[in-house]
Amino acid sequence: MTKNWKRNLIGGLSFTSMLFIFQACYGTPHDVGYDVLVEGNVKSKTTGQPIKGIKVAPYNDIQQVFTDENGNFSFYILADYSIGLRFEDVDSTLNGGFASKDTVLTNLTSQIFVNIALDSK
Amino acid sequence: MIRLINGALFRKFKQIETEIHELNYLFWECTTRCNLNCLHCGSDCAKDSKFQDMPFADFLAALDTIESKPAHFTVVLTGGEPLLRKDIETCGREIRKRGMRWSMVSNGLLYEKEMHNKLLNAGMGALTFSLDGLQENHNWLRNNKNSFAKVDLAIDLAVRSPRLNFDVVTCVNKRNIAELPDIYNYLLNKGVKAWRLFTIVPIGRATENEDLFLTDQQFKETLDFIANMREINQLDVKFSCEGFVGKYESKVRDSGFFCRAGINIGSILIDGSISACPNIDRSFAQGNIYKDNFYQIWQTKFEAFRNREWTKTGECNNCGDYKDCQGNGMHYWHGNRKNVLTCHNHKLKMYFWNKRKQI
Repeated sequence: MTKNWKRNLIGGLSFTSMLFIFQACYGTPHDVGYDVLVEGNVKSKTTGQPIKGIKVAPYNDIQQVFTDENGNFSFYILADYSIGLRFEDVDSTLNGGFASKDTVLTNLTSQIFVNIALDSK
Repeated sequence: MIRLINGALFRKFKQIETEIHELNYLFWECTTRCNLNCLHCGSDCAKDSKFQDMPFADFLAALDTIESKPAHFTVVLTGGEPLLRKDIETCGREIRKRGMRWSMVSNGLLYEKEMHNKLLNAGMGALTFSLDGLQENHNWLRNNKNSFAKVDLAIDLAVRSPRLNFDVVTCVNKRNIAELPDIYNYLLNKGVKAWRLFTIVPIGRATENEDLFLTDQQFKETLDFIANMREINQLDVKFSCEGFVGKYESKVRDSGFFCRAGINIGSILIDGSISACPNIDRSFAQGNIYKDNFYQIWQTKFEAFRNREWTKTGECNNCGDYKDCQGNGMHYWHGNRKNVLTCHNHKLKMYFWNKRKQI
């Protein structure tokens, strides 16, 4: 503990505080970003049954994930004050036809669970 | 005066860091298979590696021995080419479940939109691509005519993801040194934020090709280029942490030279060996996950990394800059360890000495 305190002080005094975050030769930069693990489940509002193949995507982002056979999905996305998600049925009538839905997540913690029910088309 | 005080404080800082030796950066050499056959490869990776990929469960068992995980502890997947493994996404998710971050070094050949999406979904937070020149020179060094086109697309994907702490690394050599300004402009136009430059270590296949190694003058020109670009400050350009560069130290990096191998950086290599950076001579291995407790080895061994007095030999013996350099990067000690493979500081001194002689 004492050594950690000394390290921070001396590192700061010698203007090397940025050295606490470094990249090794032939390695990557340290990951110092913030993200959120968003997990969830998508069901049919009509039947209560899970829906497979629903595309879940944050607004304005190339990331996307699809629900599995139990309607579950899970992905890490960039943390922000709020996160807008779009749930979209993109496989036509393969797993039934459902209307798209948007939701905005606020009060973010490092891990969030979302339950979504989609209306039939 | 301020420089002297700052230098003394920095040496003290390094000493304390060494005593604490907090592990916060772990390489996992998850495969030695590679889909390229680069001219400069230090590990002689090949399409058909003599090693099987390490089963992920074996790596996880070693990872689970780590008792203290500081914030931003990062597991760096390296190879070979990590994307040749089919389970990278699963590996990433399991690492995140354990409260650690993960990142990857890739040649970009297999890095396409679907892969990018999968890796981001699995919580990848940092990424490095190798780019060793514009089309002709990159493809020459990478020994593949499609390599530039592939990494070009991969860079486009990476820069569009603000979540990623992303940079590009370039091995400077005789062929690409003249086009460094063009590479700079290319990266700037792409939207890349950070660029690290290396020289090539004379090991592995690299030893066979004289074109790969810079003359003293070219090395000095490379550092001048980095220093100038840092002045302009449009892109975070830096010289890698590979070696001590004397009076250029404050001009080409954010901070002074500090080889953290075995101090903050550990590795689990393809055969289970426990070491530091994967490019360090394998004879420095401190144990093996298949018979030792990884974290116990980290805590109790690594003497050669944490006390570098043994490097006071050969060229380093009686060197006036030893206290700041401490034997250069650990990956420059191979074979009988009687002399450092490359002394960057010496290259600079030789350049200036020869210049004075000409005058």
